[in-house]
Amino acid sequence: MKQPATDTDFISETLPIFISEAQEQIESFEQLLLRLEDAPQDRELLDALFRCAHTVKGSAGIFGLDAVVAFTHHVETLLDRLREGLVVLTPELSTLLLQGNDEIRSLVTAAKDPAPAHDAGALQARATLVQRLQRVSGQDAAPTAPLAAAETQADAGPAAAVQRWQLSARFGSDTFRNGMDPGAILGYLRGLGAVSGLHCATDAVPALDALDPESCHLGFRFALDTAAPQSDIEAAFTFVRDDCELQITPPEAQARAPDPQGAPRANATASKPAAADDNRYIRVHADRLDAVINLLGELVIAGAGAALMARQTKQRGLIEANLQMARLIEEIRNGTLQLRMVPIVETFSRFRRVVRDTAGELGKDVALEITGGETEMDKSVVERIADPLMHLVRNALDHGLEPPAERVAAGKPAQGRLTLSARHESGVIAIHIEDDGRGIHRQKVLQRAWDRGLVERGVVPPDNDILNLIFEAGFSTAEKVTNLSGRGVGMDVVRRNIQALRGSVTLHSVEGQGSRIEIRLPLTLAIIDGFLIGVGSSRFIFPLDAVVEVIESRQDATASGTDARGRSVMALRGQMLPVVNLRTLYALDSPEPDRHSVVVLQASGRRFGVRVDQLLGQHQAVIKPLGHLFGSLRGMSGSSILGNGEVALIFDVNALSQLAADAPGRPAALLKNPNHAASAEGHNA
Amino acid sequence: MPDAHVRALPAELTIYTVAELHPQWLKWLATTGDAGDAEGCVVDAAAVEQADAAGVQLLLSLSSALQRQGRALQLRAPSTALLAACEALGLADWAASLQATEEAA
Repeated sequence: MKQPATDTDFISETLPIFISEAQEQIESFEQLLLRLEDAPQDRELLDALFRCAHTVKGSAGIFGLDAVVAFTHHVETLLDRLREGLVVLTPELSTLLLQGNDEIRSLVTAAKDPAPAHDAGALQARATLVQRLQRVSGQDAAPTAPLAAAETQADAGPAAAVQRWQLSARFGSDTFRNGMDPGAILGYLRGLGAVSGLHCATDAVPALDALDPESCHLGFRFALDTAAPQSDIEAAFTFVRDDCELQITPPEAQARAPDPQGAPRANATASKPAAADDNRYIRVHADRLDAVINLLGELVIAGAGAALMARQTKQRGLIEANLQMARLIEEIRNGTLQLRMVPIVETFSRFRRVVRDTAGELGKDVALEITGGETEMDKSVVERIADPLMHLVRNALDHGLEPPAERVAAGKPAQGRLTLSARHESGVIAIHIEDDGRGIHRQKVLQRAWDRGLVERGVVPPDNDILNLIFEAGFSTAEKVTNLSGRGVGMDVVRRNIQALRGSVTLHSVEGQGSRIEIRLPLTLAIIDGFLIGVGSSRFIFPLDAVVEVIESRQDATASGTDARGRSVMALRGQMLPVVNLRTLYALDSPEPDRHSVVVLQASGRRFGVRVDQLLGQHQAVIKPLGHLFGSLRGMSGSSILGNGEVALIFDVNALSQLAADAPGRPAALLKNPNHAASAEGHNA
Repeated sequence: MPDAHVRALPAELTIYTVAELHPQWLKWLATTGDAGDAEGCVVDAAAVEQADAAGVQLLLSLSSALQRQGRALQLRAPSTALLAACEALGLADWAASLQATEEAA
């Protein structure tokens, strides 16, 4: 072959692909194993598990990653014993396999680094792991072997005796391209026993002019005399299994079919399109996708600009052409953003392992429930939410859920329940982490807050505020600092990370009954559908999903009941609706217009109105972060540049609803810096 | 026997070379067909050092294409490597029949 000169290039180019694919295999190995724990009899799961390890080993071999190959081999051997039924999957064994998988992961990760540091401790740990793997797959196998043999007997006749199997295989068209050679597979089978009556089905091979020489059109049928179990025979086809029509007729089935040569042959129909699933995905570098999305953001702005100018010309044809373009841009936008969407289940299912291990370590019994895993959100959000979620899950396991004895004493089932759920909710994703543990002890939290000086001693804030004190920096209520959580660096970092994603986190807890943490995150960080409004000469945008309705305000609902921060109420279909006046709230320096409208918004289950001067309609807003200057402004989540170059601020509807709902008389929460607040209000007056 | 009727196989008759060989063989097939030769086409297989299922499949395909034209593929002096590859795929008889044709001719 013509590689030697380019070998190094080849490896340096493809190694990252190998690592990323191996990591996927390792990830699915873990998921499969955890599922296998629940369904130990599931043969498909076990086979898939074996294929994961086998694939990692095989491709690591291509790259000469000997450490990975050597270690994975031991894991593979153990899995093989499992497949043969010589070893039974126990929780201990499962833990060992998980540890083995972790080791493979770290070896694969280490392969990124061309000059690995040889850590004696790590080597020692790996050697111990290898010994344990060998022990369970080797010595333990001996005593159970007769038992398993008896099982095989019931299954496929006397295990020790040589049996005649009838095999027929039609290889998929991609077999050659995938680097497989039917000849080599037959060669492997010859190692298991004697192959006889080999017939090559050549009828499907097209004539030369119609042939794609790299597609495989071959099929085989033959008898195999071997003492090996069916799993060993199947193992020969491991790598072609997905696109190979394979029929293995076990010995006892042939007793019914009198003519062994006439045993079922592969149906000679054209081989089905191979491995269709693989072809549905294209690996794209995230940077390229980001570049497209950035450009798209610019396109949306430019499109809005063009539409605005078209409207000013009042030329109907031009306006229509622009509308058509705007529609297409919107479709492209939706499609492109969809490319970045991934189901959150990928992140959630990672916690199965965390819950399993952590609960085991703490001597707790915890069932993890996952709902709404199919909810999709932007990949960058998913990636950045994983760490805060991990912390919250660990916290729930460590502090929230009690040990079984304590639970039983409290009249709860011994097994604790932890629920992770996700769902779409008017333009945001709501993620809930719920446990039925001991809940949060408000008095302890308050005591700690007093001790730490977070709240002045003797002052008792409202209940909900006490709970949310745990998100303050330097707060930890754990009496015993464990190595899992409780280092006191947690919750404030969690909140900061979530806020950095334009999200929010709130905590609800009932003592003795459990806690619920709610995280609300935007669907994407790039673009939102907005509703543009004007107050004086200022432009603001509400997320369109939050807008419920728009009403022409009646005269009686105005200035009469407005408080210092521009809040009033109005009657809407017999219900009282709090209304915020943006002009007063943000101290906008412009005269009140004759007419105004009220935009009714919904946030976290509450409705409230916002008084505005002008309704400017729907607008696609490309979100730009707020600068430092506006960083302290509450109620805003970002800014956007309009088609005419003006800047509009985008409202964070949730924060605005809090401003609307805050009890009057409390220190102004509008600005975090009270001096600013004072000057702002003074300015307004 | 005119040169056009004899085609020498390369050392490597595998998945790595079939894509390259295929168009050459098609062209060759067309030119020898023009010559109106009903006897057969001779493939000199002495040089084959490596052969796999993809390579053998290409030979199979050539053979069936010739058969359709009423001609036969003749395998001259096949190397042990090629014969072993055919045998491994259960095509030893087929390979032997191609040689027999030539000896008979």
